[in-house]
Amino acid sequence: MGLLAAGIGAGIAAVGAGIGIGMIGKGAVESIARQPEASGDIRGAMILTAALIEGVALIAAIVCILLVFFA
Amino acid sequence: MIQAFRRITLTAILLFLFVPVSNAVQEDAAESEKEIPIDVIGEVRDHYYLDLASYHLPLPRILFVEGSSIPQWYRSTHAAVESGNYIENPDHSLVATTDGAIALDMSITSHLMYFWFAIFLTLWLTISMARKYKRGEGRETEPRGWFQNLFEITFVFVRDEIARDNISDDKYKKFVPFLFAVFIAITFMNLFGLLPWGVTATADITVTGILALFTFAITQWNASKDHWEHVFMFPGVPPLMRIILTPIEILGLFTKPLALAVRLFANMLSGKIMIVCILGLIFIFAEFFGPIFGAGSSILVVPLTVALYILKAFVGVLQAYIFTLLSAVFIGMAAEEHEHHEEGIEAHA
Repeated sequence: MGLLAAGIGAGIAAVGAGIGIGMIGKGAVESIARQPEASGDIRGAMILTAALIEGVALIAAIVCILLVFFA
Repeated sequence: MIQAFRRITLTAILLFLFVPVSNAVQEDAAESEKEIPIDVIGEVRDHYYLDLASYHLPLPRILFVEGSSIPQWYRSTHAAVESGNYIENPDHSLVATTDGAIALDMSITSHLMYFWFAIFLTLWLTISMARKYKRGEGRETEPRGWFQNLFEITFVFVRDEIARDNISDDKYKKFVPFLFAVFIAITFMNLFGLLPWGVTATADITVTGILALFTFAITQWNASKDHWEHVFMFPGVPPLMRIILTPIEILGLFTKPLALAVRLFANMLSGKIMIVCILGLIFIFAEFFGPIFGAGSSILVVPLTVALYILKAFVGVLQAYIFTLLSAVFIGMAAEEHEHHEEGIEAHA
C-alpha cells in the first residue's frame, strides 16, 4: 500500500508541477516575444518562480521517497 | 553517422529479441528468490568511509558517551567494533555494549569530508584571488589568464545580478561575500558528486539545513525595524485580522529557509537516485535475463546516463544560483526599509 501511495503521490505532484512550470514558460515566452529587450529580467523572474514551484513538487517527491523506503 | 546509428539500433533490437528467449527456460525456477542487485538508497546515503578507487578509506569515529564529556576516538568503524565496546548495526551505526549509551555520534562521514573539501577550495580560491587583486593585478591591469577571468565573471555576476538586483542599493555590499561564498561552495559540492567515486554533499538534508540556517541567521540579524513590524504588527489591517496574520508571518519566517534546504537537497538527491537507477538497469537486466541482455541494455542506458550527467552538471550550477538568489531575495526583503509604502496602506485602511 505504501508503494501504491508513493507512486500515485509522485504522479500527482509531477502533474501539478508540470502544469505550473508550463504556465510559467508560456508566460515568459509570450512576454519575451512582446518585449525582446526585457528578456534578461523576464528570464530571471521565470527561473525564480519555477524554483519556488519546484520546491513544493520536490517536497512531495521526498514524502514519496520516505513512503517507499521507511514506511 | 546515420549508418552507425542504424547499426547500433539494429544490434540492440537483435539482442533484445533473441537473448530473453534463450534464457527464459531456466529463469522460471530461480525467479522467486532473486533480489534486485542494486541498493539505491545505500548508494546515496552518508558513509563512514571515503570511497577511493577500489579502496574504502575508513574515517574516524568520534563518540560521546553518556556520563563523560571526553569523546571516545576510534580510527575506523572496524576499530570501534574490535575494542569490544560497540556492536555495528546493519546501517553502520554503533550500539554500546557496555554501560552508558552513545549520547552523540560526532563521527566524520563522507558527506562532511566533501563539505570540507568544498569549503577549503572556496577559501583557497577567494584568498589567493584577493591577494592577487591586492597586489594590483586585475585592478590596475587587465585580469590575466582564464582562471582570473572566470573568477571575475562569476564574482561580477553574483554582485550585480544577484545581490544588487534584490537588496537595496545602500546595503547590498555587505552581503556580497556571503552570497559569493555560498554560491561557489554549493557549486563545488554539487559538481564533486559527478566525479568518479565522488559524493554529493548537498544530497544530505543536514548539509543544506546548515546552509539554510546561515541564511536564516543573517536574514534575521540584518532585519530592519519594518521587517519586525510586518511580522508582529501588520500595519494597516484591522486588529482582529492580526490574530490570523501574525502566526502566519511567524511561520513564514521558518518555512522560507526550510524550503530553501529541502529544494537543494531534493534536487541533488533525485539527480543521484536517477543516475543510480538508470545505470542499475544494466545490472537488474543482467540479473533477471542473463548477462548478454544486460550488455545489450547498456547500449541504450549508457548514452542516457551521459545525457543525465550533463543535465545534472547544469542543474548543479542552477541550484547553486537559485539558492543564492533566494537567499538574496530573503535578505533583501528583511533589510528593506519602506516608510512611503506603509503610508499608502494606512490611507487605504
